Amino acid sequence: MRVLIIILIALSYAKSWSQESMEGAAQLFQQRCTACHTVGEGDRTGPDLLNVTQHREEGWLIRWIMGPDKMLAEKDPLAMELFKKYKMVPMPNMGVTEAQAKLLIAYIAQKSSAEPQVESSVSKPASSSAPTSEWLGTTQFLAFIIFLILSLIVTYSFWRVARSTGDPVPIIDMKAAYALRKKLFLGASLVVGGTMMATLPFTPYPVDLRTPDQLIYVAANQFSFTYSSEPITSVEDMGSIPTIGSLEIPQGALVEFRVTSLDVTHAFAIFDPHGSVLAQTQAMPGYVNRLRVKFTEPGHYNVLCFEYCGVAHHLMRTAFVVK
Amino acid sequence: MDLAKRNTLNWIGLTFTLFPALVLMGMFMRAIQAERLSSAQGWFYPIMTLHGIGMAGLWWVAALACASRVLAKYTNPSEKISRFAIYGTVMGVLLLFACVFLGRFAAGWYFLYPLPFKGNWPAWSSITFLLSLTVLGSTWLVWTLDLLLSIARKYSLSEALGWHYIRGKTSPEVPPVVLITTVSLIAGVACLLSGVIVLVLYFYELLAHVNNDALLMKNLTFFFGHLLVNLSLYLAVGVIYDVFPHYTGRPWKSNKVVAIAWNAVLAIVIFAYFHHLYMDFAQPTSFQYIGQIASYMSSIPSAVVTVFGAMALVYRAPVKWNLGFSLLFLGMLGWGIGGIGAVIDSTIAVNSKFHNTLWVPAHFHTYMIEGLVLMVLGYFYHYCQEKAQITENLKLQKITIALFLIGGYGFLLMFYLSGARSVPRRFALYPSELSHGVFYSQISLFFISLFLLGLILYLVETGRRWKKAYAR
Repeated sequence: MRVLIIILIALSYAKSWSQESMEGAAQLFQQRCTACHTVGEGDRTGPDLLNVTQHREEGWLIRWIMGPDKMLAEKDPLAMELFKKYKMVPMPNMGVTEAQAKLLIAYIAQKSSAEPQVESSVSKPASSSAPTSEWLGTTQFLAFIIFLILSLIVTYSFWRVARSTGDPVPIIDMKAAYALRKKLFLGASLVVGGTMMATLPFTPYPVDLRTPDQLIYVAANQFSFTYSSEPITSVEDMGSIPTIGSLEIPQGALVEFRVTSLDVTHAFAIFDPHGSVLAQTQAMPGYVNRLRVKFTEPGHYNVLCFEYCGVAHHLMRTAFVVK
Repeated sequence: MDLAKRNTLNWIGLTFTLFPALVLMGMFMRAIQAERLSSAQGWFYPIMTLHGIGMAGLWWVAALACASRVLAKYTNPSEKISRFAIYGTVMGVLLLFACVFLGRFAAGWYFLYPLPFKGNWPAWSSITFLLSLTVLGSTWLVWTLDLLLSIARKYSLSEALGWHYIRGKTSPEVPPVVLITTVSLIAGVACLLSGVIVLVLYFYELLAHVNNDALLMKNLTFFFGHLLVNLSLYLAVGVIYDVFPHYTGRPWKSNKVVAIAWNAVLAIVIFAYFHHLYMDFAQPTSFQYIGQIASYMSSIPSAVVTVFGAMALVYRAPVKWNLGFSLLFLGMLGWGIGGIGAVIDSTIAVNSKFHNTLWVPAHFHTYMIEGLVLMVLGYFYHYCQEKAQITENLKLQKITIALFLIGGYGFLLMFYLSGARSVPRRFALYPSELSHGVFYSQISLFFISLFLLGLILYLVETGRRWKKAYAR
């Protein structure tokens, strides 16, 4: 039965089944859907779409993809059920046309048929593609510890001073106070200067002239990232320049991401497989930021938008694999 | 009642009205992140915008109101301009409410170009927002210039900046509050002019349909935003220089070291904002290094001269630990701890991991709610108590302070932990891999409730005095 439905959908969208169109569909899915949905990799903010074309009527799916806000406003029972089930996070209107909605449905049907099938339709928990943060990164851990230690020293000093007022004297020895201030000045200058000298060489700016092992262009726009091997500088380029739907990076490769934005300011923040921020750069309209990262650890790397870019900012994401 | 007193009490009343409302908005946001109010997530970003700009603007005018009142002991600022500033601020706030509550404007408090033009809110709300900032910015610029003018009528520029102390002279005697306020207001004029330029460029684009340069707009916006918050703190610190001697019985005068320190601050503070653009790799790299150097350097005069000076003044002094003095003292502590978090984040190598994580609101909330807010609330209590002379309930005041500390620092610790664990700021809801962000939000709700309880007790304590002062 499942195969029959897939065949029927495939026939109804015969044009879409060309290799070229499916690549376009994959790209469209990547841009508009992956922030909240997967096909067979478990729920994210929204449901896993594996076999959704079998559970839902096609007309309903098209209407839902094109105008979720309208259907919620009309209190469509199925839409309301989904809304309640997924923590009352409404699906945003992504401005999808009818032709694009049909293309997406065909893509989901094809991808579902290629996925190993699970026994039940119950949503899977978040899969290994979304690792939870296991520990602090080294930099984050050190920064937090230094912050705690210095804060405790300052708090203790204030506490000592506050307690001293229980045993008041008319005047204090200002000569001794000035001598202490001199020591404090020298100590603080040494710490500040030393830390500055020690940390300034470790900046993320690409100053070396080595040719990277891989060059990846990243175009950000509300609310998706697009990878490509050629620069995308405008929305019009989206259709003409081939994009990379599923990015894989060889372990140990030095990768240069050339990041830009086609609308507002975004940020491209890479999380390591343990869930800590590894590197990031801003994506600005009219500018290209070059972010170089050497990937020594294999695994799944999530990418989140780290600059507030509008009402669906928290849904803007992508990912890649290092192996 | 004389106009000076009426103006000060009006500023206090405005602060007491807006601050609890803005705290509740902050709680609302944390409740959504804690998945306790997920159904209201459509309001997260509009409220975030109002909370951010509301708090930054409110504490700027509150600090200016304190500085203006203390400055009036030595100079003669125009009370009519102060009254004009109240009207202008209220009008700007009403416009802000309109664009957020009616138009759901949600471009964030620093409205990063070109987001105001590319959101899903109506165009009129963006224009109303820009008009609101125009009203607020121009009002505050007039007020700032008037305060500077009042200083200029009594002191020459070199005297007001204490350059004669640096040259080894001791007269004329310039109170520290005059020196610090002069430094803050000179930088304040630059800050507000930068804001005006940003607004002019926005309106130019709106009318002439010419695109602006995103990097230039970002530099101007952060120069404005960073300075506004930083200078609010300096203005409050200037007030502390004047009020601490009242409680300790010891004088705190300007001298060579104080003059050098605050002139250094003026030179350094205008370059520190570069740290907001570390992740813009297109920015010239030399600016990034200047950003770290300036941010690090700015910690020395504040820590070694001001905080140390305050501690020396309090050490073994016969202090009465009432609500006013306690809050001023603890405000210095919050400034210090927030400063540590800020300096750590201003390290470029660290910033690449912390930029736009919750570490950022962690440190600026520290020097706001446990720093600037406590200093200003401390001064407001001090002022109202001086006018009202009501018997103090020190036990109740200790409970208030304990709630401010436990609630405030508990709330902040959740921010720091979240930031260290890479939870991003400005996320209405967290993705599943960052579910620990939800957990920290839930705990922070408990702590901020304690802080709110402390605020209610404070408002009862100070409100009684404010009311009596108004009636006199």
